[in-house]
Amino acid sequence: MASITGASLKFTSLSNSFKQTQVPLRGISVNYVSFQSHRMQPGSLRFRVSCAAKPETVDKVCEIVRKQLALPNDSSITGESKFAALGADSLDTVEIVMGLEEEFGISVEEESAQSITTVQDAADLIEKLREKNSA
Amino acid sequence: MNIRCFPRKFSSALPPLVPLQLPSPMETHLWYILPNEVKSVALLNQYSELLSPCERENVNRMGGDQLKKRALLARALVRTTIARYQTNCQMNPRSLKFRKNIYGKPEVEWKNDDNFSPPPLHFNISHTSSMIACGVTVNVPIGIDVEGKQRKIKNDIIAFAQRYFSPCEVKLLTAISDSEIQRQEFIKLWTLKEAYVKALGKGFSAVPFKTFTIRFKASTIRCFHLPGNSVSEASEVIVESSDDPKNLPNNWQFALLEVAASHYVAICTEKDKIVGGEANRPMKLTVRKTIPFVEDVCVSGTDAVLVLGGIIEQ
Repeated sequence: MASITGASLKFTSLSNSFKQTQVPLRGISVNYVSFQSHRMQPGSLRFRVSCAAKPETVDKVCEIVRKQLALPNDSSITGESKFAALGADSLDTVEIVMGLEEEFGISVEEESAQSITTVQDAADLIEKLREKNSA
Repeated sequence: MNIRCFPRKFSSALPPLVPLQLPSPMETHLWYILPNEVKSVALLNQYSELLSPCERENVNRMGGDQLKKRALLARALVRTTIARYQTNCQMNPRSLKFRKNIYGKPEVEWKNDDNFSPPPLHFNISHTSSMIACGVTVNVPIGIDVEGKQRKIKNDIIAFAQRYFSPCEVKLLTAISDSEIQRQEFIKLWTLKEAYVKALGKGFSAVPFKTFTIRFKASTIRCFHLPGNSVSEASEVIVESSDDPKNLPNNWQFALLEVAASHYVAICTEKDKIVGGEANRPMKLTVRKTIPFVEDVCVSGTDAVLVLGGIIEQ
């Protein structure tokens, strides 16, 4: 299990059954996501209240990501989760984007793919593209 | 087992790195680590001492031990490999600095001293859960991509190809009736396309996969090679613009390998014009399996390296 002390990184043991270091947020994930959207983005003055994606969208993205990366049901995926940190490589990311296109009936330009690094990024882009579609 | 590890100013605890000769022009060095072979916690802690605080933070952010280990090994591989090459300066793996180009491709940020001319070293890394690889060249850019042979595609392969690949490539994949062979050919094509856009330094977002076609061409090259070297002349891999297939960007060469019987590895390098890169010369390739500070095993020319495409000399 890896633990972090300040700027150092130490591995204390390596076992075959790796415990997730984060606490799973079973049952309260919807509230957690809503709370995320009311927080000020560190380093910027962007308020996410009005332009954050709906919790259902974020949940759906989480589901697609979980399936693509074959993550266990109790692993923690939230809006802030970075695809790379969940273990997605470039092919996974493109597969996820394709899954999102099919699920939400949108088309994501390759240029935009670079800007999608977190679940929230994906959800926000989905909402933006859906709005454009219905306009 | 509880190993405390603090960042130290001096690498006195680390064994010395065995120096390396730079690759020659038109030569590629491929290094790979199999994470499952690295089990020593003490060794992992030594690797973590090499990382910058920023890199350590990135490793920490990975979800779970396996991903942390993978991220750690990737940085350790890059730092130790580059530091080993004999250049006009003594490089310490810990003191190497990296930056990204405008598209996000990592590169070494060499010291900007007055009398210092940076070595013409280029590198690119790729990792998958069971292999971490680093390709190194001189003078010319390089891109590599690694995928597990058994990797399953979650989407329908033809639907995926129709969405992202060129029409020519879709046609080729559709013509394959065996679904397992189709899956394998898809992965090979993916790695080659990724290696190309990484060699260009631009990546998937700036060079959409639909805009170019990669295909195999029967090789008509007669290679003159020294006895003792093996040259694979199975087929050449070429890249064409989707819009203008006749106008071949002829300055890129590819290698497609099956490594350790378990992974497809694609390499793309620019041809070195100084060495008469217009003619089709083989890519000289040296492949080594490594555990930094512990061992290197040269596997070129063995069963561990199977050439599937490209004119390669090992």
